[in-house]
Amino acid sequence: MSRTIAIEVLRYGPETDAAPRWQRYDVPFTDEMSVLEGLQYIKDHLDGSLTFRWSCRMAICGSCGALVNGTPKLSCETFLRDYFPGPLRIEALSHFPIVRDLAIDQGDFLKKLEAVKPYLINPDVPAGNTFVQTPEEMDRYYQYSQCINCLLCYAACPQYGLNEKFTGPAALALLHRYNADSRDAGKAQRMEVVNAEDGVWGCTLVGYCSEVCPKGVDPARAVNQNKIESTKDYFLRFLKK
Amino acid sequence: MKTYRRPMAGWWKRNPYYLWYMLREASCVFITVYALILLWGLMRLTQGEWRFEDWLESLATPKSIAFHAAALPFVLYHAWTWFKVMPKTLPYSRTPAGVIVASGITASVLCSAALFVAVWWFGLWSLP
Amino acid sequence: MQVIQADVVVVGGGGAGLRAAIAAADVDPKLSIALVSKVVPMRSHTVAAEGGAAGVTRADDSLEHHFHDTVAGGDWLCDQDVVDYFVAHCHEELVQLEHWGCPWSRKSDGNVNVRFFGGMTVQRTWFAADRSGFHILHTLFQTSLRYESIRRFDEYFCAELIVDEGRVRGVLAICIATGEFVFIEAKSVVLATGGAGRVFRQNTNAGTVTGDGMGLAYRAGVPLRDMEFVQWHPTCLPGTGILMTEACRGEGAILVNKDGYRYLQDYGLGPLDPWPRAKAMELGPRDRLSQAFWHEQQKGRTIATAQGPAVHLDLRHLGAKKIRERLPLIAEAAKTFAGVDAVKEPIPVCPAVHYTMGGILTNVRCETPLPGLYAAGECASVGIHGANRLGSNSLVEIVVFGKVAGEQAARFSASGKGPDVTGKARAASERCLAMLNVSAGDRLATIRDAMRDAMESGVGIYRTGETMKTACDALAGLAARWRHGVRLDDRSRAFNTEWLGAIELGFMLDVAQAMAHSALNRRESRGAHMRLDGFGKRDDDGYLKHTLATHAGGHSPKISYQPVTITRSKPEARVYGGAGKQAVLT
Repeated sequence: MSRTIAIEVLRYGPETDAAPRWQRYDVPFTDEMSVLEGLQYIKDHLDGSLTFRWSCRMAICGSCGALVNGTPKLSCETFLRDYFPGPLRIEALSHFPIVRDLAIDQGDFLKKLEAVKPYLINPDVPAGNTFVQTPEEMDRYYQYSQCINCLLCYAACPQYGLNEKFTGPAALALLHRYNADSRDAGKAQRMEVVNAEDGVWGCTLVGYCSEVCPKGVDPARAVNQNKIESTKDYFLRFLKK
Repeated sequence: MKTYRRPMAGWWKRNPYYLWYMLREASCVFITVYALILLWGLMRLTQGEWRFEDWLESLATPKSIAFHAAALPFVLYHAWTWFKVMPKTLPYSRTPAGVIVASGITASVLCSAALFVAVWWFGLWSLP
Repeated sequence: MQVIQADVVVVGGGGAGLRAAIAAADVDPKLSIALVSKVVPMRSHTVAAEGGAAGVTRADDSLEHHFHDTVAGGDWLCDQDVVDYFVAHCHEELVQLEHWGCPWSRKSDGNVNVRFFGGMTVQRTWFAADRSGFHILHTLFQTSLRYESIRRFDEYFCAELIVDEGRVRGVLAICIATGEFVFIEAKSVVLATGGAGRVFRQNTNAGTVTGDGMGLAYRAGVPLRDMEFVQWHPTCLPGTGILMTEACRGEGAILVNKDGYRYLQDYGLGPLDPWPRAKAMELGPRDRLSQAFWHEQQKGRTIATAQGPAVHLDLRHLGAKKIRERLPLIAEAAKTFAGVDAVKEPIPVCPAVHYTMGGILTNVRCETPLPGLYAAGECASVGIHGANRLGSNSLVEIVVFGKVAGEQAARFSASGKGPDVTGKARAASERCLAMLNVSAGDRLATIRDAMRDAMESGVGIYRTGETMKTACDALAGLAARWRHGVRLDDRSRAFNTEWLGAIELGFMLDVAQAMAHSALNRRESRGAHMRLDGFGKRDDDGYLKHTLATHAGGHSPKISYQPVTITRSKPEARVYGGAGKQAVLT
């Protein structure tokens, strides 16, 4: 005998709606069912027009982010049993334009990702073999390489919500990941992004980004330790001339 | 591509985390005012015993006490959040965040205690 | 309908697709390369691969060892000339990934570490903790951002290949956000769309793994090869099918049944000691391990869980430190999705469909029989996996052959432009649009779930002529119902994932039929294709050949055969387990 939970989803269709509206569904569920599986049940059996992104179902692809009762979460690793009897409110991730239902426009983030030069910059590559990098050297950047680009941190960050030009947590964390990699020599090329008003200085250390990150990346630390770097860069710039 | 942008108005009311953040930011107002009061007292100290006594008396008025009663929790909250956030501002280290926070809070408690004791000691010493 | 010109189109933004796009861009920076993916590239299923990528590295290893492990692992159905090319190029591609920033796990001296994997004689699997695919994919995606000549079409769904006068001319794609059609006209096309595991009910795959590229090539007349060989990964969470990587066993984990007994010793993989030991017990190949589970289930020795029968994957003796450092994603997944603390309790696991050994027919240069069309990665059958794939051969396959496909496609694109085929593209778009206006028909989920059940019961780990025939008939019926029309709730154009799901279902039904008919016609047992109806043994005289399934319109696929290229390794008995020395785990 399975239980039923009330799920309310914020619907929006560009062809049919002027503004988003809430729609309620009653979903029978078992204890192991995730919120994602709840959404899939609705789409398969109740309303095929419900639109949401998903892929891996195991919290590694970053597709299924949504606001679950106001908190940014991955719907595949959030479970219906924790919200019974509901109503459970599911909405598209905040601070992004809604394209349809739970699907947001990711374009701005992808532009930010490109802008931080997220690749190894090093003209001196060891011929035929790998760089040498000790586990200690890897530890300096490894946690920042865990970002699955799920955008929960952008949904958490009110500065990004108030100012779309802010580079944002994940992009800056990825920038730091490369700066901190012992094999990289491209820090100088990334400083312009770091130093900008909308670079690290757009952050007021709300810290919610690191709270919601499902992978323990700690973008708040990546951004804020670079405020020291940015300051050093500013005061020492005369020496570089 | 037609999209819908949700308004940001009232964003800080939507999540308890944001409310606590706004309180943290608001605490700066109290701290600024308190710092100005102390600076004002320092200035009065340079102007002689009578002016300093006047300043001390003004601190004892009901309005002043009300302000200080409101400011104290905000200053304590500010100190608490300051240390909680400290690990996020430091460059790479293998020290766990909890240790950094605990050390900071302990150091500030000890300093405050030492200051309190010193003031009380000198206060005793300077009694007529 | 928008028309866009490109020199090379790569369909699929996973490991193979990204590597192909980068390789094409490297051949000539003046070429315009369109990278078309139905998801933003970092969502591609490469991201979920865990265990590692193989390449001969240690001094006590050799290309000959890797060659032999792969050919034996594939039960001699591999094209040995291709395997020779493959093993010779693994190491250099892994080094290339490292140069691009991939955080391979290291030994304390700073050199890359290697570990054991199932069916491998020597440690040669490079790994990045237990999220190797995640790191490989993000490294490739981030590296691709350097290339201005790679133009990305994120969230564009390829619905048809446009072919004219025996040559591929481009792809018809749907911009998912708006539902508008785009004809990307190109001189060469690389398909890198991944496998088709979602045709089965229980699988480790993401929702996107629906065999789109296989369907596209198949409908354009390209045969699908060796489709009957589907790999069940032996250790997945029951119910969801979430993968518990082979790397667990590479680090020394064991499998026990409900009596706490290491049952693999009963299936030719013993003796127990010493453990761990290459190619023995839990380090045997995946097909043997999955088949052993099936037998244990028949004997009633599996553990009954709420999500179905399972055995226990026991990591406890590895210790908390090793689990935290080497298998963090596994520990997280076991906790989140199975509620199990891997340090204190064993993890319930069972086999689930994981990989499609078969795919689009290509030669060693990734060329399909259709000029201008190339394929690489899981969607292709280049000839290295044969009847069963060894773990960690696939993550390196995508970069070795991704590179080949990209280079070949780039060189081919130097040929001249063809005649105007916009009319054909428009006709294709009308076919897609017609699917939106169906008023009477089955719901998407009805046909889809029936297909998955038919495959699970008819073309499972063990098969009989009867079960396979039943599946073939069921699939024919389902395909007819699909052609009649899927009734959609969603009639809009913008971001209509139900519509796209119906198109994907069409590809899945084509692929499923190719799998079922290929399986029915292979009257022997080899590798992952196991029969219980009198054809239980390998028959090299009759079936040392590749199966080819060719599209035959609305009818069942036409099945034919192609010889296997045997150069120096003649088929032998496929032996694992046995005596041996204890492996020193790094």
